[in-house]
Amino acid sequence: MGKANLAGSNRQPWQARLLSLAPYISIGLLLLVLPAFLRTYPLSILTKILIYAIFAMSLDLILGYTGLLSLGHAAFFGVAGYTYGILMVRYGIESFWLVTPLGILAGGIAAAVIGYISLRVSGVYFLLVTLAFGQLLSVAAVKWTSVTGGTNGLVGITDPHLGIPGFTWTNLNFYYLVFLAFVICFFLLRRITNSSFGRALVGIRENEPRMQSLGYNTWAHKYVAFIIAGLFAGVAGVLFASFYQLMAPTHLGIMTSSSVMLMVIIGGAGTLFGPAIGASFIILLERFASDMVSSARWPLILGVVFVICVLFLRGGFGSYLSRFWRRVKRRYGSTES
Amino acid sequence: MDVLLAHFLIGLSFGFILFLLATGLTLTMGLMRIVNLAHGALYMVGGYVGLSVARLTEDLVGRDLAFVLGILAGGLCAGLLGLIMEAGFLRRLYKRDLDQVLLTIGFIYILTNVTQWIWGPVPEYGYVPSILSGSIPVGGITLPVSRLAIIGFGLAAAAGLWFFQEKTRVGAIIRAGMDNKEMTMGLGINLKLVFTGVFTLGAFVAGFCGLIGSPLLGVNLGVGWDALLLAMIVVIVGGTGSVQGALVGGIVIGLIDAFGKAYFPELAYFTMYLVLIIILLFRPSGLLGRRI
Amino acid sequence: MEVLRVEGLAKSFGGLQVLQELSFTVEAGAKLAIIGPNGAGKTTLFNVLSGQLPTTAGRIYFSGQEITRLPPHRRLHLGLARSFQINNLFLNLTLIDNMLLALQGAQHPHFQMFRSINAGTDLLAMAQNLLESMDLWEKRFDPVATLSYGEQRLLEIAFALASKPKLLLLDEPTAGLPTAEATAFANTIRNLVEDMTLVFCAHDMDLVFSLADRIMVLYFGQIITEGTCNEIQCDVRVQEIYLGSGRSSENVGSG
Repeated sequence: MGKANLAGSNRQPWQARLLSLAPYISIGLLLLVLPAFLRTYPLSILTKILIYAIFAMSLDLILGYTGLLSLGHAAFFGVAGYTYGILMVRYGIESFWLVTPLGILAGGIAAAVIGYISLRVSGVYFLLVTLAFGQLLSVAAVKWTSVTGGTNGLVGITDPHLGIPGFTWTNLNFYYLVFLAFVICFFLLRRITNSSFGRALVGIRENEPRMQSLGYNTWAHKYVAFIIAGLFAGVAGVLFASFYQLMAPTHLGIMTSSSVMLMVIIGGAGTLFGPAIGASFIILLERFASDMVSSARWPLILGVVFVICVLFLRGGFGSYLSRFWRRVKRRYGSTES
Repeated sequence: MDVLLAHFLIGLSFGFILFLLATGLTLTMGLMRIVNLAHGALYMVGGYVGLSVARLTEDLVGRDLAFVLGILAGGLCAGLLGLIMEAGFLRRLYKRDLDQVLLTIGFIYILTNVTQWIWGPVPEYGYVPSILSGSIPVGGITLPVSRLAIIGFGLAAAAGLWFFQEKTRVGAIIRAGMDNKEMTMGLGINLKLVFTGVFTLGAFVAGFCGLIGSPLLGVNLGVGWDALLLAMIVVIVGGTGSVQGALVGGIVIGLIDAFGKAYFPELAYFTMYLVLIIILLFRPSGLLGRRI
Repeated sequence: MEVLRVEGLAKSFGGLQVLQELSFTVEAGAKLAIIGPNGAGKTTLFNVLSGQLPTTAGRIYFSGQEITRLPPHRRLHLGLARSFQINNLFLNLTLIDNMLLALQGAQHPHFQMFRSINAGTDLLAMAQNLLESMDLWEKRFDPVATLSYGEQRLLEIAFALASKPKLLLLDEPTAGLPTAEATAFANTIRNLVEDMTLVFCAHDMDLVFSLADRIMVLYFGQIITEGTCNEIQCDVRVQEIYLGSGRSSENVGSG
C-alpha cells in the first residue's frame, strides 16, 4: 500500500522535479496525441479504460488510502449513471450542463446516505454492509421498471447537448471529454491525497484508535472521504452512461463492485496511478482473453489472475512501479528520499 | 388465523434454510475473522452436484435415496472445495485478513465460471424426494410438504449444532478460540487444525444445503450471490460467532420476509434490507452478538 | 487552580468492578504518580480519563469543564494528552510521518484538502524541534518498525507532547526498558515536562521518586492513600501491599 513519503520536500532542484513529473507528462502527451490516429475500436477501448480509471481511482481513495473495504462502490457509479440517463430519457432534459452535475451529485448523495449507515460498523462487517446496499440498489433497479427500465436496463440515452452551435459528438471528441475528465479527476485526487486530509486518511488506515487519541475525528474523516469517493465514482458513472448509452441493474451490483476492486488491488492500492494501471490491465486482458480464448471463460481467467495477484503480487503492479521509479530518481539525483 | 399460520410456516422454513446457510459463515467469521465470500458459491456447487447425482441415481435407488445421495454428494464436494481453499490458499495468508477476503472473491469467479462451463447457463428447479412431494392446505394456502420437512430438519440440525457448540469438546475449543486465540494455542491445541476443520465443516453444510434449499431458491448460477447475501444479512442481524445468533437471525429474517411478502408485496424484497438497516443503526453488533 | 477533578469514578466490565468510586484532584503544575500492584486498575483509569473507555459512573472535570462523555479527540483539543503502555505507533510509516501526524492532529480541527502538505512547513519545523530534543532527527526517514524499542518508546512520549497539552497522562513510560535506558529516559522526560501538569503511573520506584511530587496508591480499584513521596514511603499500608517496601525496579506482585 502507499508508503509514499508524506513529508514531501520543496527543496528539490528543478531537474529533480521535472524527473518526478516526467512519467505523468509523457503518458499525458501519449494519451493526448495517440487517439487522433486510432481507429474506432481501439479508441473505444481507450475511452473505456479512462472511464474505469476514474472509477478505480475513486475507490482507491477509500480502499487504498483510508483502508475502508467497500464492496458496494458500484452503487454510486450506477446511481449517477442512472440519474443521468433517467433525466435524459424520462424527463427529456438534454443539456450537458444540467444532467452531468446532477448525475454526479446523485452519486454523492447516495454515498452520503449509504456511508452514514455503513460506517456504523467496520472491518468485514463494513464489507458486508456495503455489498448488501449495492445489491439492494441493483434489485431496486430491476423492480422499478417504470423508471429504470427493469432488467433490460435504461436504453436510449442520447448524446447530451453542449449548447455549442454546430457541435456534434464524435468518437474522438467524446474521447477528449473523457480524457479531460480523467486529467481533472487525477489532479484533484492527487491534491486531496497529498493534503493534510489525505495524510490523516493514511493515519486512520494504519492505526485508527491512535488517530482518535491524537485529536482526529476519524468518523468525520471517513465519512467525508466516502462521499468524495462517491462523487468521483459518479463522474465515471455519468461518462459511462453517456458512452454506452445505456445503464443496467448489474452496474449497481456486486459484479461491477468487485471488478473495480480487482482493478485497484491488481494495480496497487494506495497509489492513485496504480488503480489506473489496474483498470488498463484488466480491460486489455479482457479483450485479449475474449479474442484468444473465449469470452465465456473470461471470469475464470480473471478469477485466476486475481488469486495469483493476491497471493504473490503484494501491493500490485503499482508498488513495483513506484519502487522502480524511486530507484530511477535516486540514480539521477534528487534530494528527496 | 390459519392464514397466519401458513405464513408463519413459510417464513419458518425459509428461516431454517437461512440458518443452515449462515451457520458455516458465522462460525468462520467468529473464529477466523475472515468472511468466506465464496460461501454462497459453495452452496451453489452443492446444489448442482447434488442435483446431478440425484438424477443419475434415481433410476437405480429410487427418488428418496437419490435425494439423500445427492445432498451427501453436494456436501462432500463443497467440503472438499472448502478444504482446498483453506488449506491450500487461505492458510498462506495468515494475518492478512483483507487479502483472505479478496482471495475468496477470486474463488467466486472461478467456481461460478467452472460451474457454468460444466452445467451450462440454464437454471434448474428444485429436487424433492417422493415421500415429501405433495402438499397440505393450510389456511387456504397450499403448503408443499417439503417446506414443512425443512422445518423439521432445521430443528434437528439446530439442536445438533447447538449441542456440538455447547456440549462437545471440539465446540468448547471453537468457542475458546473465538474468545482468546493465544490462550487456546497456549493450551497446546492445534488451532490451525481446528480452523481447517471449522472451515471445511462450514463448506460441507453449505453444499449440503444446496439441494435441500433447491425448492425455495432454485439451482442456478445466480444463486451463489443470493445465498451469500442472505447469509450475510442473517449473520449481521443475528450476531456473529454463535449457532444461536444464526438461528435467531435466520428465523427473524425468514418470518419478516414471509409476512412482508404477504402483506406488503411491493416492498417484498426490501423488508429484510429494512431490518438490516435498523439493526445497523441501533444495534450494530446484532441481536445476539458481542459488542463490536 | 485545578486541572483535573474526578468524582465518584467507577468502571466495571460486566460483573468485574475495576475502578471503585474514585475521587481526586490534580492541581496545575503538579506531578502525580499513581502506583499500585498489577491489576489495581491504573491503565483502566487512564483509558477512562482519556476517553478510550466510557465510565460506568462518576464524572470527570477538566479545567472546570465536564468531559465525562466527550470522545477522545475532543479531549485532546481541550488539552488532555496521553501515551500508551504498549507502543501504539504507525509502524509502517516513517518517523517523520508519524511525528507530522501527531502534530497535525493537534491543530485546530478543520479539513485541509487542497493545500498541499508543503504549505505546512511550520509543522516540519515543530517536528524537527521535538525530534532533535530526543535525538531522533537523523532517523526521521526510517520506518518506525525498524527503530529500537527505546526509540519507539520515546516517540510514544513525543506523540503525547505534540499537542503541548495542559495535562499529560503517561502510562508506564519506561515499561520494557532496561534499567540504564530507563534512567536516561526518565531524565529526558523530566526536562520535557517541567512546566506541565503530569499524571503518570509506573512500577519503577526510582522513576516515581525522581519525577513525582505527589503519589497516589491504587489497590483493587480504590485509592488507599495519597501524599508526598516521604509520606508514602513511610506508610505502613503501602508497605503491606507491596512485597518488601522501598525496593525499586523489582517486580511487584499483588500482596
